[in-house]
Amino acid sequence: MPAVIELENLEVRLGQRTILDQLNGSLSGRCIGLLGPNGSGKSTLINTLLGFYRPANGRARIFGKEVQGNLRELRAQIGFMPESDAFIADMSGVRFVRYMAEISGLPANEAMERAHEAFFYVGLGEARYRKLGTYSLGMKQLAKLAQAIAHGPRLLLLDEPTNGLDPEARLRMLQLVREIRDTGQVNLLISSHLLRDVEECCDEVIILKEGRIAAICNLEEERKANLKFLELEVSQENGFLESVKSLGCECASFGGGRLKVVLSDNIELRQLYRLAAEHSVQIRRMNYRRDSLEDIFLKAMSSGTPPPPPPPPPGSSNGRL
Amino acid sequence: MAVYKRTYKAYSGALTPAWSRFGVLARYGLKTLFNSRPFTAYAVLCLFPFLFGLLTIYVFHNTAALALVNLRPGQTPIIGNYWFMAFLGIEAWMSFLLTAWGAPGMISRDFANHSIQLYLSRPLSQVEYLLGKVSVLGILLSCTTWIPALILFVVQAQLQGNGWGWANLWLAGSIVVAALLGIALISLLSMALAVWVRWRIAATALMIGTFFLLPAFGGIFDLILRTHWGRLLNFSYVMMVIWSSLFRVPEQQRHIAQFDLIPLWSAWATVFVVCAICLWLLHRRLKAREVERG
Repeated sequence: MPAVIELENLEVRLGQRTILDQLNGSLSGRCIGLLGPNGSGKSTLINTLLGFYRPANGRARIFGKEVQGNLRELRAQIGFMPESDAFIADMSGVRFVRYMAEISGLPANEAMERAHEAFFYVGLGEARYRKLGTYSLGMKQLAKLAQAIAHGPRLLLLDEPTNGLDPEARLRMLQLVREIRDTGQVNLLISSHLLRDVEECCDEVIILKEGRIAAICNLEEERKANLKFLELEVSQENGFLESVKSLGCECASFGGGRLKVVLSDNIELRQLYRLAAEHSVQIRRMNYRRDSLEDIFLKAMSSGTPPPPPPPPPGSSNGRL
Repeated sequence: MAVYKRTYKAYSGALTPAWSRFGVLARYGLKTLFNSRPFTAYAVLCLFPFLFGLLTIYVFHNTAALALVNLRPGQTPIIGNYWFMAFLGIEAWMSFLLTAWGAPGMISRDFANHSIQLYLSRPLSQVEYLLGKVSVLGILLSCTTWIPALILFVVQAQLQGNGWGWANLWLAGSIVVAALLGIALISLLSMALAVWVRWRIAATALMIGTFFLLPAFGGIFDLILRTHWGRLLNFSYVMMVIWSSLFRVPEQQRHIAQFDLIPLWSAWATVFVVCAICLWLLHRRLKAREVERG
């Protein structure tokens, strides 16, 4: 199974400026978050993946196929929801989505059927005959999502999908994204500067800083690793520490009943509770370490721009923080 | 993705052939244009010269009808190259207004809210997008220029008899070539201006200005420099110079109509240069993303 997106020494220049500089990485997540501050090159990367910009050097691959040279084939498999407004104001919503689906290659009848379905799916079923120019901002965002999914793409590129949405509409949009992700039929690349949105939906993130990759991080693995790192506060240690160590866990005491424990693979939490009961120790507080996406992002932003890593050999694991 | 289930489902059905996708743009473009009642009314009005021509040909070949208008056979004008050139000229002007009305909106509405990026993010190239839009004008203008002219040619050949059709077969070719040349110039110019200014009203004004104000500048240029080269800025004149050659208008008649003030090659060169500039402009401006040079 090829990676969803592979970047190999990708460099994009617009005019005299280098916007993307020597990007290397392989992304295989079901839902990939594209993070970075404003001007870091997120939209440029999406536009390059769509073939709107030609790389000055290097290459980008989608599903193992090089973007330049396979544009038509790849675009047929991509659904794109741009950041800015993108609609024909005097067309009704359903006609617009049908039109776009037909351009993607769906026969007229199927396009009509799927346009209706897409509008119901995003929750605009009742407004589908209204002209797009009369839609509110939230409705326009949903209509953009509808046109992106109507032709049933394999990869969805969502550029700032929650931009300008009120909290309710934002939740609705994230819910839709998660639903689409969970069908397992489509991969998503979500560009956003809202860390929470990405954290809620994505299992892998790529963080850009000044046109270079600051980090590629598999959030799923990160979450699993976090589940093994515990912070405990106990009433008294009373031999509890030694017992935990005897289970094969790493354990350190910081005084005042504060312990940090790294669980080994075969240990479950109930064993800790059992040990605590045996030693008459009260567990007053138990926290998983929460190395949130915000921490990861801030670490990536605070570190100097790393030198570009060599392109990964095929099948290798992703770069980690 | 069934409505009642409201779940996402990928599409796995058949796809239309890739080469036919530009036709979707043409189909939607035509439908959108004819959604406007005034536009539809004007498009119907453009067929009036055709109906008048049909009536004229019929009357000229019908003794009883001629008698009704107090004419006898032999007193009627000859239906030949002049007649067809004049007919095409009238239709071309009406078609120009049709284009100035409809064409700018077709492109500017795609640019107004950045929907151009949605077209080009699909399996549709810049050339196919353009082809789709130009075909709208191509179909529309063909229906008001060379198709009615060819019908009139066939009717005339049928009623005239005596091998008139075969003897004047070159005229059919001239009608098609002359009309297609005009359609290409008007379509590309209107598209390029619409892409350039991206505002429907401004594009329409520019289109009209190109055909009415530019000749005035050319005239001033001619007056000041005592030359005729300023006429190259008068695209309708340039077109008539080419048409007079295609319709084999004799030298004497061309001189009387002042169609010989500029050489024929310069007229052809003007049309080609204008079309080339329009194509270049379309290629430069028809992008999903603008790149700021810096």
